[in-house]
Amino acid sequence: MRSHSIFIIKIVLVFFLMTGVLLQTGCAFKDIDKTLFVVAIAIDPVENNEERYKVTLKVSLPFGAIKEAEKPSYAYLSNEGDSIGECIRMLETYADKVLEFGQMKTILVHELLMTDHLKDFMDYFMRRGDVQLIAFVAGASPSAEEIIKVEPETEAPASVSLFNFFGGTGTESPFITTTYLFQFRRDFFSDGINPVLPLIETNEEQTELRINNAIVIDQHKEPIKLDNQETKYYNSLVKGASGFSYKEIKGDFQLLLNISRIKMDYQIIAENDEPQSIEMNVKMVGTIGESNQPLSLKKLDEYNQMASNTTEKIISKFLKKMQEHEVDPFGFGLRYRATRLERDGQIDKWNRAYPDLDVHVNVDVKLQGAGTIE
Amino acid sequence: MGESEKDTAALAYINRLAKQLAPSADVVKKNLKRNDNVVHLLYLKSVVDMMQLQEVIVKPFYGNSAEQDFAEYVQSLPYETQMPTGDEEVLTEITKGNVLVMIDKQITLLELKMVLANTVQAAEMEPTIHGPQLGLSESIETNINLIRQRYHQPSLMIETMQLDEASNRTVALLYDREKVRPELLEEIKLRINNLDVELVQGSADLQYYLNNSKYTLLPKTLLSGRPDRLLHNVTGGKVIIMVDGSPHGIIAPVVFFDFMLSMEDNYHSFWIVSAIRLLRYAGIIICTMLPSVYVGITSYNPDIFKTELALTVAASRIGVPYPSFIEVFLMLLFIELLTEASIRLPEKVSSTATTVGGLILGTAAVEAALVSNVMVIVISLVAISTFVIPINEMSYAIRVCRFLLLLYTTSFGLAGLVLGMIGLVMYLVNLNSFGEPFLRVAWKDRHEELKADDQ
Repeated sequence: MRSHSIFIIKIVLVFFLMTGVLLQTGCAFKDIDKTLFVVAIAIDPVENNEERYKVTLKVSLPFGAIKEAEKPSYAYLSNEGDSIGECIRMLETYADKVLEFGQMKTILVHELLMTDHLKDFMDYFMRRGDVQLIAFVAGASPSAEEIIKVEPETEAPASVSLFNFFGGTGTESPFITTTYLFQFRRDFFSDGINPVLPLIETNEEQTELRINNAIVIDQHKEPIKLDNQETKYYNSLVKGASGFSYKEIKGDFQLLLNISRIKMDYQIIAENDEPQSIEMNVKMVGTIGESNQPLSLKKLDEYNQMASNTTEKIISKFLKKMQEHEVDPFGFGLRYRATRLERDGQIDKWNRAYPDLDVHVNVDVKLQGAGTIE
Repeated sequence: MGESEKDTAALAYINRLAKQLAPSADVVKKNLKRNDNVVHLLYLKSVVDMMQLQEVIVKPFYGNSAEQDFAEYVQSLPYETQMPTGDEEVLTEITKGNVLVMIDKQITLLELKMVLANTVQAAEMEPTIHGPQLGLSESIETNINLIRQRYHQPSLMIETMQLDEASNRTVALLYDREKVRPELLEEIKLRINNLDVELVQGSADLQYYLNNSKYTLLPKTLLSGRPDRLLHNVTGGKVIIMVDGSPHGIIAPVVFFDFMLSMEDNYHSFWIVSAIRLLRYAGIIICTMLPSVYVGITSYNPDIFKTELALTVAASRIGVPYPSFIEVFLMLLFIELLTEASIRLPEKVSSTATTVGGLILGTAAVEAALVSNVMVIVISLVAISTFVIPINEMSYAIRVCRFLLLLYTTSFGLAGLVLGMIGLVMYLVNLNSFGEPFLRVAWKDRHEELKADDQ
């Protein structure tokens, strides 16, 4: 019985000592309320100095009753420095709490920095352990700082608009390109493909964000801006984003198609390792959504034909433009490399051939109905 | 002359016994006289059924013609108990409710006991909706009767043993002879015979003494008051230990998964049972890990949260003065107090206690910003999921485990939680119940496993 009580006393003693040790942490034990959640980061060039950057952080502020809050509240911290890392280190001295990058999911980059500079930023983000590789990367116009400070009227408390646009989280539109950090970096450094970033713009009153353009980036060239039609076709073809409406015009006859499914595949035809042409097949399935003339179900094949022809033209034009600019957002070159044995000079051969390559686009539109009952 | 000497010797014996019982108020030493015939009775009136005594002994005695016949009549009665040797043993029998009947030199023990605790009680510890509603009683005879009536097999063995302690309790081992493992039976008998305790009051403390080790956290035998659960386990080759005076049987050996089984599971269809079991295991995981997960995430890795949730949690912690682990610790302590209080209190008051404690204190604590409201949700969830565990003893053990996990997580974050969980699993793996590994999955029996090994 004696050893029993000694054992109990020991246990109790150890317990109290350990509890005591825990209590010593006092306020140094950092809780969630001692952190500031950085939700987005904007990188801008500094005027008249090519080597310096201006970094702006968007910090989401939690406050009392989120449900009763009318608008989300943010704080913005910005600083200039020679590198992103330096800026952020300095920014840590601007706030009383720990800057937590675990929730940072949007990286905004000024249009002008969409060149070789990107390498430096990405290096920092890749190395920093708490930045998620699934963060969205986007270009910003007129400046990243302006965009990051936009607080759209539709934004609800405790939810960040800049996240909802991408990845199908909130809105789903074929105009919005989603590019993740890991994907962007991969495409950026790969030969034979060019990454595409969404371009975020705002209206004059800065009450909304507008994302319907995209930028194709090349390490060695100026970025190429895609207009919103091109962006839509890029997203439809590469990402399979089903658009709501595709306009088909033949003379004064106008059709607006609601496409529910788009599938694109292509083959690179090569002879003796010399790329000759690209055969692209596109299948579109959908219904007619709008028309300026009465429609008949019997003429569905006619409409199919008409829609195919118009779409073929648009896609061909788009591809031609890409070839002229010598950029490859579709990753034809990557496919070419991936399906052949690697040998010296292969990519150079491709790069030489690419601008003049014949691209045959074959679009097959299958309309499921005229949208009317006879 | 010799006759009367023997008579006096017998009288002396009965007097001696009476003297040993003497100071008790309920000792009765009675002589029945009719003509020359004398019958001596010795019993304790508090444990003997008077009506039966009247019917079985007194009436026939005065109705019978000759003494010789009466002596034979007594011997032929079905109530007779084996006459033990030694005064102590005889006295024990008398305290159990036997009546010592002496006719001339013939001494007989008749079991005319009255057990007031033999009413069958509702199975309150493990209620089911569809299963049998009645449990066991506090009398071992009634219990054995209940079991026998539900399991009509000659292979059902009932072995009684006597405990060597103050209450001299009868302990019965129930098992199916054809299904039980002989070594297991040996082991259990050995442990019961080697018990060195002062007093056993019922199954629960016997179970603790049978554990064979002083400091245990998890129960190694299962206590159940449901005849259907007991029989369910008998058919599985287990041994039931019943203690006189206790409405529960001890099931041995058990594995962890036995504690997660409710008898309700036998009365539902497959998919429903699967879903309910899934829920139960989810419950056990929630109630062990959730407090620690809360501390780990809010204090060490807030990036695991969805952004919205991170902001909500951060917002709810605004103004809370203590770090999350103290908050969790206090709230856990609070909920344990509440549970403990509502068990101890009479039923009518306990609902008030839970209302005051749970609702009013909880809300007030949040209003006063002493704890965050997310914390209150976490704690309520933990408290509720603890009750999902069907066997009470296991839920007690789990309640202790979560404090240990909390300690680990507080010190080392989520990595500490993982470490603690690994430690817990290691501990469970290391346990055994009467030679049976505690975490054994009912996949194949050992013979089949060994056979599979040989191939």
